[in-house]
Amino acid sequence: MLKKNNNNQKMLKLIDKNRIYFIFLFVFLFMSLFAPRFLNVFNLTTVTKTMAMNATVAIGFTMIFIIGQLDLSIGTIITFSAVIGLSMKEYIGFGGSVPLAIVAGGLIGLINGLLVTKAKISSFIVTLGMMTVLTGVIYTMTGGNSVSLSSDDAFAVSDFLGDMIFPFITPRVLIAIIMVIAFSLFLNRTRTGRNFYMVGGNKQTAWLAGINTDKYTIITFVISGTMAGVGGVLYAMESAAAPLNLGTSSLMYIISATIIGGTAMSGGKGGVFKTFVAILMLEVLYNGIILFGLGNEVKIFIAGFILAAVVMNEAIVAYKHEKIFGQRPELIKELKQVQN
Amino acid sequence: MSDDKTIKEEKSDVRAIKVTTLGKMMNSFGIYAIAVFFLVLGIVLQSLGIINNFLTTTNMMNILDAVTLLGIVAVGMAFVTYSGHYADMSVPTTMAFTGIICVQMLQFGFIPALIITFLFGLLIGLINAVAIGKFKANPIIWTLALVFVTKGIIRIVWDNKQIYPDFIANSERTSDLFDNIFRYRFFGKISLPLVMLIILIIALDFVMKKTKYGAQLKMTGAAQKAASFSGINTEFVIGMAFVICALTATLGGLTVTSLSRVGYINNGVGYDFKAVTAIVIGGMTLAGGRGSIMGVVGGVLVMGLIDNILTLLGVGTFSQDMIRGTIFIIVVGLNAKSLRSLGRDDA
Repeated sequence: MLKKNNNNQKMLKLIDKNRIYFIFLFVFLFMSLFAPRFLNVFNLTTVTKTMAMNATVAIGFTMIFIIGQLDLSIGTIITFSAVIGLSMKEYIGFGGSVPLAIVAGGLIGLINGLLVTKAKISSFIVTLGMMTVLTGVIYTMTGGNSVSLSSDDAFAVSDFLGDMIFPFITPRVLIAIIMVIAFSLFLNRTRTGRNFYMVGGNKQTAWLAGINTDKYTIITFVISGTMAGVGGVLYAMESAAAPLNLGTSSLMYIISATIIGGTAMSGGKGGVFKTFVAILMLEVLYNGIILFGLGNEVKIFIAGFILAAVVMNEAIVAYKHEKIFGQRPELIKELKQVQN
Repeated sequence: MSDDKTIKEEKSDVRAIKVTTLGKMMNSFGIYAIAVFFLVLGIVLQSLGIINNFLTTTNMMNILDAVTLLGIVAVGMAFVTYSGHYADMSVPTTMAFTGIICVQMLQFGFIPALIITFLFGLLIGLINAVAIGKFKANPIIWTLALVFVTKGIIRIVWDNKQIYPDFIANSERTSDLFDNIFRYRFFGKISLPLVMLIILIIALDFVMKKTKYGAQLKMTGAAQKAASFSGINTEFVIGMAFVICALTATLGGLTVTSLSRVGYINNGVGYDFKAVTAIVIGGMTLAGGRGSIMGVVGGVLVMGLIDNILTLLGVGTFSQDMIRGTIFIIVVGLNAKSLRSLGRDDA
């Protein structure tokens, strides 16, 4: 009796751990069956294209969550890198401006990381302050106007990045997917990668085990900044324009995806690939909502609602867990059976 | 012999207390030392002829008027920070939402509109209270989620339109009353929001320092587990902090909507960051249980002084953002450092 229960629980745990794949399948099937004009190459390419930027940025953000920190500045780093990448192109060409933009993103991440570890300021404060500072920098740099390019070679790059090379996949999407797989393998299969989980799961133990926790935290912030830079600048290159609100909605979108994908903010859990699937799921969902003709307002509402529901669900699970903490529910159950 | 040595070592190993002058000042005078510093800075700049009209009654009143709105929001949010739950990021949308609700309800008259508005504010507070107080959801992420839910509701129901009290109110008197929330001045000088702020400061300072609830909140903020084990109903205490925050945000929302005479989704934008800045530079640490309402008021005044001096210097809005963000990080860093060197660790 007890053993069977345990097996069931194991199954449930396994399903809960991999819930994002089931949710994705469900949403995808639902949209394929009911949404008009969903299942065709053109629309699915749109889905993968729109997801590419956030998928790249989410790699870094998931790692931030894994080591148990918070980075509110990714949205502005996206815009910052996009603006640098396009506005510097005039002087040094894409060959110089794109690496510069990505390095700039990494540099912001480095500053964040140093402030968090060396000055020991809470990451919430550091990244909130950085967000404000960067917003100021972006608007001072551009004077409040979007940056756009209109030269022929810029459009050539834009065409190259936007063309399909395989079904559903453009070069930008390919870059995102390769990076997701690379980081996923790195985090799960290498010792250095596993160490990130250890730092997030229990900082003290990690330190006692000889891991330089400060170094890992700084590296993670640098990766987060760099990835935000890559995502922002590639998006800007494909559309040959950097609107100043480019990254505003990304933060919330990526937080939702990361949490739905099963990465907890307390650290030490989750994975890059799951976040990627969650981003794909959200994109399919939003695409479907638009196809149903419900408009942007409903999209924002549903996005917020999903995030709220998932956060609430996590909280309730933890609450129940804490309530029986120190008790042994299976013994109580058995006792009740005996009494009956 | 060896025993002696260990004892000596232990003595010298006592947590090294390096009391810097800055740390001492931060600790004893708190934020008001910084406020005086900026005041003196302003006076010096004026005497050097770099800025004009700093030390005049009009300018001082301007500073007060400019910070009253922020003050109203910040003293409420201080309760959330004091309880060790960082910040309530849903304050901007709560302000916008309650403002819109009030304008919409002006069709039933002024008093019913106020009552319904505060009921909605209370509702938002209760939602936060249940999610964060009872179920212990992560405060930042939960309130961020609530921001998007509220934004979605505003966009769906009001269809992205701005709504004007003049068109909706059932009589001219009603819309006048609404406009006067921000504009009424006692003796032609002291504005109504300033009076509201002073009443709020006195009341909330009393609640935080003198009542049983305040003591429980301090304990909960400092050590939530210990508080819960010693029999404090932490769920209620934390929930109440979020309710207070939502209610002051409602008051702020009413004032800002009355100021702009339009119910609009972006009415409260930026108040989350400004309020957190004021609270944290006012000496309330994010770990909770430390700080006071008077400190927060000092933080609000410093924010007003910085803004005023920068504006008089002719610095643009966006550069002000940069400077404000930098000051924010630096002050928090220094504050944390001085606390750590005094041996009062705040993680």
